[in-house]
Amino acid sequence: MTSKNSFWDNCKQNHKRRIWVWIVSVLGQLALYVGILMIYLSRIRLWYAQGTYRTYEEYHDTMCRAAAEVLGFKEEYLITAIVLAVIIGVQGFSYLHDRRKVDLYHSVPVEKNRRFFAVYLNGIVIYITSTLLSVLVGVIVAAVQNAVNGLVLSEIGFAFIWNLLFFLVIYHTVILAVMLTGNRIITICMAGVLIFYEIGLYGLNDIMKYAFFETVSTFYVEHEPKLSAVWDYLLNVWDLRYMAWSEGVGGLAGEVLPYCGKWLILAVVILAAAWFCYRKRPSEAAGRAIAFTKAEPVIKVLIAVPASVGIGMIVHNASYGSTFLAVLGMLVSGVIVCAAAEVIYDFDIKSMIKHPVSGCVALIGIVIVFLIYKNDLIGYDKYVPLESQVDSVALNIDYCGEFWKKDFTYYSVADYHKEHMVITDVEPVLALASKWQQEREYFEVIKNTGDVDNTADYREVSVLYRLKSGREVGRKIWINYADPVNEALLNRIVGSDEFKAGAYQVMTDKDSYDHVQVITYTNGAVRVALPAEDAQKLRDAYVKDMEKFDFSLAIGERPCGRISLVFPNQRYTRMYVYESFENTIAYLKEQEAYYPIRLDPEDIASITITNYHYELDEPETYDSVAEYNLAMGARVETVAYGTSKAYEVTEIFDNKEQLAQIVPAIYPSYLSASWHNDGWELDQSYDVYVTFKKDTTYPYDRSERGVFYKFYVDQVPDFVVEATAYHADTE
Amino acid sequence: MIEIHNLTKTFDKIKAVDDVSVTIKDNTVFGLIGTNGAGKSTVLRMVSGVLKPDSGTIAVDGMPVYDNVEAKKKMFFIADEPYFFANTNAQAMERYYSSIYEEFDREEFYKYLDNFNLDKNRKINTYSKGMKKQLAFLLGVCARTKYLLCDETMDGLDPVMRQGVKSIFAKEMEERGLTPVIASHNLRELEDICDHVGLLHKGGVLLSKDLEDMKCNIQKIQCVFSNVDEELKALSGLEVLKKEQRGSLCTYTVRSTREEVTARFATVDTVFYEVLPLSLEEIFISETEVVGYDIKKLILG
Repeated sequence: MTSKNSFWDNCKQNHKRRIWVWIVSVLGQLALYVGILMIYLSRIRLWYAQGTYRTYEEYHDTMCRAAAEVLGFKEEYLITAIVLAVIIGVQGFSYLHDRRKVDLYHSVPVEKNRRFFAVYLNGIVIYITSTLLSVLVGVIVAAVQNAVNGLVLSEIGFAFIWNLLFFLVIYHTVILAVMLTGNRIITICMAGVLIFYEIGLYGLNDIMKYAFFETVSTFYVEHEPKLSAVWDYLLNVWDLRYMAWSEGVGGLAGEVLPYCGKWLILAVVILAAAWFCYRKRPSEAAGRAIAFTKAEPVIKVLIAVPASVGIGMIVHNASYGSTFLAVLGMLVSGVIVCAAAEVIYDFDIKSMIKHPVSGCVALIGIVIVFLIYKNDLIGYDKYVPLESQVDSVALNIDYCGEFWKKDFTYYSVADYHKEHMVITDVEPVLALASKWQQEREYFEVIKNTGDVDNTADYREVSVLYRLKSGREVGRKIWINYADPVNEALLNRIVGSDEFKAGAYQVMTDKDSYDHVQVITYTNGAVRVALPAEDAQKLRDAYVKDMEKFDFSLAIGERPCGRISLVFPNQRYTRMYVYESFENTIAYLKEQEAYYPIRLDPEDIASITITNYHYELDEPETYDSVAEYNLAMGARVETVAYGTSKAYEVTEIFDNKEQLAQIVPAIYPSYLSASWHNDGWELDQSYDVYVTFKKDTTYPYDRSERGVFYKFYVDQVPDFVVEATAYHADTE
Repeated sequence: MIEIHNLTKTFDKIKAVDDVSVTIKDNTVFGLIGTNGAGKSTVLRMVSGVLKPDSGTIAVDGMPVYDNVEAKKKMFFIADEPYFFANTNAQAMERYYSSIYEEFDREEFYKYLDNFNLDKNRKINTYSKGMKKQLAFLLGVCARTKYLLCDETMDGLDPVMRQGVKSIFAKEMEERGLTPVIASHNLRELEDICDHVGLLHKGGVLLSKDLEDMKCNIQKIQCVFSNVDEELKALSGLEVLKKEQRGSLCTYTVRSTREEVTARFATVDTVFYEVLPLSLEEIFISETEVVGYDIKKLILG
């Protein structure tokens, strides 16, 4: 007759009333894990029967990868975890929202803490047992079809831990939402706000920065949510799939466990907050919208400000940047959100204008936030750190090459720069950044007037400031390449070993050149294969030549050729050769691979030139396109050709004298190079196709169409201009 | 003993309970009377530990009750709308309460269930309102706590069942010293069951007295005096709470003992006099009219 009234007895009693949640969880997850797995595996078996796979090993590997994909890291499980966390959390704790239930549970002699943890633990048990059961059945199904190996099991194991920790963060957030509210619908809304609030704030910050700041650069530094588990999950789940195959179990663990650790800490903190609110929550909060009356204005302001600013920014974009309409949109939406909050709080339409003070605070907050961004009150665009604050810099100043890791997997440019480009001579970079600040006003004027000729010399550069405080700041600056003062500063930067080490992988990565598979050289017209075993020799010569490489060389010369190298895993890079690269050219000559960029008219059969006469395109078309693009936020509208071919004139030249005049004026389009703005240096109005003689000793491209060239700007011979002039009767 | 001192509770700026002080003695039936919104349920919810008072204290056998398991073990709260788990039956509810209340008497519960003709296997959501009240009452009684807090529990019970409940109260009080605290808006419902009554109005206590004391100290006399001098002589020194006159027949409600009234009227010249018993309703009318309230409007509608 006597009962123990123990913790486990409380758990058991609670679990009896939550059995339906467990059943829903099991059925849902069985359908997801096992159902989808069976579909995947049966399809692969069918393909195998049809001979899609060359070997059994290939088939087996595909089966294993399919099992790992379905039972391991899959973005869909983010939704599963969120849905289950909401159902389990709300179902477990929403007794607090019902006065009748509160009267029962809070009057019986059960400690508050014990009840909380009994309900809480039961929720976790529901998730773990239902997920484990589903995964276990999935593993058995996969094992029966020989789709399981150690890698599969390790991915499944780590994915289970990953999903469990993610579930915990969301589950605890939902519990916190339950504690803060007194109504199920409001709880779900609150949970949504808590789960996505940080992502929303970062998104809004990005929208505002891109709308109002000039120097925003996400090339090196991306501001991402720090605490959002949803963000972490979405950002990484794709990379984690099959990681056991590429990085091994250790690599997978190294990637997964830090996130799990972070989520565990986050989950504990949120749980502590939820438990604190549970302890402080008054029983009479059942049925209210917000459990803590004093929190109502705070919540209203915290929701109204970002929501209204976001709506205002939509109006801002839709109205092509109208400040008036943006502010109006923000204030109107602010009033609506505040009124809606009060109506929800009291479940009474008459409460719309209740608590005007917090409403005014929200509106003032909205205006302040808008003004901060609109007028750059934080000095975002003016930011240039002091030399004493900066430890080193990195900068992405132009296309410099492609990068790969030691295992020949992809290495992003930004990541390679961050890892390898440590420029400690920061003074020229800061000087360029300061100079840009002085020129900004002028640049704004010429940009806004569409003076494309003057803006063409300005080149966008992403800079990473590594501060001594440990902080990293990314900004964009524009550098006028035509300014001699800038040339001297850029020579100090580009000519430095620190810049070259980060910008050109060839400078430091000797080992990779032991694995080169294919080497070719081209002058734009000829492509010659070089012996792959000479990769180190070629590299040595190139590195030696690169020692004298600086900005003046890069900008003063156009490349006379290009070496292409293919590495394992389809990694590919190009190295531009300049006429002053004597060691590289000596090697190429030794290999009889060097062909000068200047063609010999004796080798040419004819040159076909087409003049498109873009200048004759409808001026309205040009202006309207440019105007639209500038209005939509384009910094500089550089090219706005018409689309009509009505004015194009094509002529073929085969006269030796004419060919001799054309040859020095053309450059192979195939060699379009970095450091140079081909849109301005090469005349885009003309296409030049060179057709070589069949009896020449040089291995030129002898395709019927010929090799594609462009004229240098202002070097088109007069006779070509005349011959390709447009006359109304040309057609 | 439950001692309530200066209890106050406010909901959204509305004072539901205002400075209530009441003492509930052991082994008595305490009736808490009041109109809807008088604060009866709030007082009971605070006494049962569901709500935390804004100010004031509640001591159950000397222990504070809020968030105190030991104090809660001594009481069972039957809410005005008792909650039962979804799709459950009486047996499942018994199992739940058995796991919570260590002294829960399962045999007694099923015996009472039979006596009240309640099917232990029938889904509670198919019960009538009165049956649900009976079930909640039986669960409360069988939890064998010292205090049983009943919020409008008698409401909805038919006269036979009400009689059954009363007899169970009597039995449990006699056998194990149960102290029921019954809140009701209906004075007549409590008349024949309560030992002590507290009258709540607008969150405050209008009066709290033993019924016996009240009955002994208020008398109703119907009489016809031979002349005015005799009337003045009879009433001098008596606290007259109320006087009604129809022709020469006067009806007085006075604060005094029956013996004193009889002795005084015996010495004056009356054509006729009689000391009549007062109903609880009449006592309340008299007591509250003295402090300026019209009890008929408050309790009797």
